[in-house]
Amino acid sequence: MSAVGVGRGRVKRPTRRALPWAVLVVVVAVSLVVGASGRSGRETNAQRSAAIDAHIKCPSCDGLSVADSSAAIAVAIRQDVAQRVRNGQSDADIEEYLVSRYGQGILLRPPTRGATSLVWVVPGIAVIGGLIGLGVFFWRRRRVESLDVAEADRLVVARALAESRAGGP
Amino acid sequence: VALVVVLATRPTYGATEVWSPLLGQQAPSIHSVTLTGETYDLSQDRGRWVVLNFFASWCAPCQQEQADLVAFAYRHQAIGDAALVSVVFNDSNSAALAYQRQTGATWSTLSDPGSRIALAFGVRGQPETFLVSPSGRVVAHIDGAMSTAFLDAQLTRAEAAGS
Repeated sequence: MSAVGVGRGRVKRPTRRALPWAVLVVVVAVSLVVGASGRSGRETNAQRSAAIDAHIKCPSCDGLSVADSSAAIAVAIRQDVAQRVRNGQSDADIEEYLVSRYGQGILLRPPTRGATSLVWVVPGIAVIGGLIGLGVFFWRRRRVESLDVAEADRLVVARALAESRAGGP
Repeated sequence: VALVVVLATRPTYGATEVWSPLLGQQAPSIHSVTLTGETYDLSQDRGRWVVLNFFASWCAPCQQEQADLVAFAYRHQAIGDAALVSVVFNDSNSAALAYQRQTGATWSTLSDPGSRIALAFGVRGQPETFLVSPSGRVVAHIDGAMSTAFLDAQLTRAEAAGS
């Protein structure tokens, strides 16, 4: 006799069960894309400067951005960033200049280039790996549920169920 | 007892060498004006060592190292191998000038509006000091109050390394 006692009629149709998951995946993907696209529209110089300041660490403070610090060097960096923005330098150029003076530690947001890019890549790989793992898990479970059960086994189970109902309380 | 008294009354200096991306690189250019109105260009000191010291008159560690800097400056001015250059950081020019005069600091002290020189050297606070080689390269970045002995040791080591 097979160890599996699940009847074919109790297995739901895969497409109906997959629908909520598909919706969830679409919602998460759209949220990630919208979130990652960042600032939208045309920014003023002041908005650009403020956004850069928020990602530059105050060199003489503990864990504060230059935007949040009143230290002399933080004030100087804010003025320098504003001047560079007015001069038309890109965010990357400004960050690169500060890194050339203070090192990578000046950036509160790890750069997306070089070895530090692993900080961004590894979580993505972990999420994709996790999703694949979940998919494999559910796929294997569904495969077990969908196994063909021998007619003789089905009869044995049906008989046992009938007997238990007849003799039950 | 005398030794204990001498040790206990000696000033404690907190100078440490710290990393900077500028180490081994050509020093950022400096074109500025001294507190007494002369123009100053870092390139005019090519051929001798430059001790570039960022300071504020109100800062306690800066006051602590000042007598040592004065001693270092006068000794090396006589030899002609090294120059001391100060940069006002996080202080007013008038307070810095009064302080330099009062402490006998007669070397070039640069005004730094907008802390442009400080930013170019990646200064975090005060006192901070950079040792610039005769060829114009940054060879040491020192954080905290320095003694004359510490500064001389830095200079000797850099000279031995042939910077």
